[in-house]
Amino acid sequence: MGNNGPLLPHPAMITKIVDETGDVRTFQVVFDDPARMENFSNKPGQVAQLSVFGLGEATISITSSPTRRGLLEFSVKKVGRLTTALHQLEEGCRIGIRGPYGNHFPYDQMVGRDILFIGGGIGLAPLRSLIDFILAEENRQRYGTVDIIYGARSADDLCFKNDIMERWPTAPRTVVHTTVDRGDRSWNGHVGFVPSYLEEINPEPENRIAITCGPPIMIKFVLQVLEKMGYTDQQIITTLELKMKCGIGKCGRCNIGSSFVCLDGPVFTLAQLKQMPPEF
Amino acid sequence: MPAILKKDKLQALLSGLSRAYKLVLPVRENGMTYFKPYQTGLAIDRDYINTAMSPKEFLFPQTEKMLSFKYREGAEILITGAEPQPEKLAVFGARSCDLAGIAALDPVFGGRFPDPQYSTRRDRVLLVGLGCRRASSTCFCRAFNIDPLSCNGADIAVVELEDCFSVEARTDKGHAQLANFSQLLGEDNSGTVETSLSGAREAIDTSFDGIPDPAGIKDFLDRQFELPYWENIASRCLGCGICTYICPTCHCFDIFDVTRGKPDGNRYRCWDSCMFPDFTGMAGGHNPRPTPKERVRNRFMHKLKYHLDRYEIGGCVGCGRCVEKCPVNLDIRQVINDINKLQGGEN
Repeated sequence: MGNNGPLLPHPAMITKIVDETGDVRTFQVVFDDPARMENFSNKPGQVAQLSVFGLGEATISITSSPTRRGLLEFSVKKVGRLTTALHQLEEGCRIGIRGPYGNHFPYDQMVGRDILFIGGGIGLAPLRSLIDFILAEENRQRYGTVDIIYGARSADDLCFKNDIMERWPTAPRTVVHTTVDRGDRSWNGHVGFVPSYLEEINPEPENRIAITCGPPIMIKFVLQVLEKMGYTDQQIITTLELKMKCGIGKCGRCNIGSSFVCLDGPVFTLAQLKQMPPEF
Repeated sequence: MPAILKKDKLQALLSGLSRAYKLVLPVRENGMTYFKPYQTGLAIDRDYINTAMSPKEFLFPQTEKMLSFKYREGAEILITGAEPQPEKLAVFGARSCDLAGIAALDPVFGGRFPDPQYSTRRDRVLLVGLGCRRASSTCFCRAFNIDPLSCNGADIAVVELEDCFSVEARTDKGHAQLANFSQLLGEDNSGTVETSLSGAREAIDTSFDGIPDPAGIKDFLDRQFELPYWENIASRCLGCGICTYICPTCHCFDIFDVTRGKPDGNRYRCWDSCMFPDFTGMAGGHNPRPTPKERVRNRFMHKLKYHLDRYEIGGCVGCGRCVEKCPVNLDIRQVINDINKLQGGEN
């Protein structure tokens, strides 16, 4: 017996851990129950609650695209109590997962458009689910060009190195523009902050959707640059992160005014955000 | 048409209910009235205006187990969801404001992701409302068009009149229960109930003292997020959270694991409060509501606007508990009056 409610996590095994940077790891997980794995049906941009039993839960965006069947990936930066505990786990360990929660990137409304991704640091994690969704063979022809502008503090802080260096640059009609705030001898790419690199590349707003996620300070200046370049509030999409416990609109803490980020977000257009109180 | 219950038959009704249900009823203890489990000889408090705690806790307990987790061979883990106690509960003496509070919680715990623990308790509970005979100095349910005599939302509505109680089933569940007590109930052949009810109506209506007018508040708050006024309120608020704990519509909760040093353990949820900084404080240090100003604003906005926006049902039911218990006398009625004045100044 026992309830089978929405707050109940389901056991999953960590099948692979990738060290992205000094403090970011990507966990590949598979549900113990194959039927649950099959039916999880997340959409790009959604989040899940990860349990480390005995410590609690944290809301983490699903970084893998649903076009990749049979596994989920979560990229986690070691920031607090729960994420530190996650980083201590090894391949073969069990965690709990419940979800998927929240809305998703409006990939249907983006059909036929050119897509500009602008990410900073671990902020690339939620964007990656949509990038891989669009670049998936079955979807690629429905979308225009893909530009990915990605930056981190240093070359060591770049996440998803295999994606940004190997996989994405070789995908059709896709350009990856990588930059680091501070260069060093090992780095022969672009050096500079993401917003100024965006201004330099200057992708035309016509028929393009811009999707950004990163540290608040980066987002602030990226938005200024995009507006200067002529992007409308409807053309700019971001994804938010607030403290969550339940993920299903009951525990009350992720509200921005009357909206709950867990139900109505985490994906919002800039037009939507401007209608909301600046409390995020 | 309400039936009549003679006053000396109340005990028999309660005793009968206690055989079919786990019955809780208002009992006075150390100067305060609480819902307590019925036992023979326990005196029901019939003079209380309202209980110290609303009956919310019977549907959404202050702390409840959600699940247990147990490690098995090969690092596998077994997760078992908790079930509420199987017993059926009857609440005798719920006031109209608190019934409105339950109506405000229903869409929160229902919706797209129904909460099984709340729903199970909600389906099983029998709510017996008791009409108010008088208002306290902090009562203001009338401000939100809640009728203290009506017991809207109850399965059975009871009103104490001069010589008897009027008893009326309002739901199928209520009808089914009352059918078991037909030998205790009489018909109102002489129209006594109607005459006495109008007396009760006058008694309650004249006992209210200063009801604020929230009519234009939401419209104003829809347009005004940044008000220096919230600084005034915040400068007095201690952030103790008592207003949220005793509020019949506050539903926020925390989730935490308890293991007592072993790998196996339980996960619980417990009431939480938007008055606490950690409520929204994130691991990286960011906090969208970093100071008392944002937190008091969130609470009052939730009561007067957000809940209405989201569920089309009021987030304040005028029970007055927060007014009575606030250690620094913050008074939501005064907040409503103050905002009305600000609104006047806007034009």
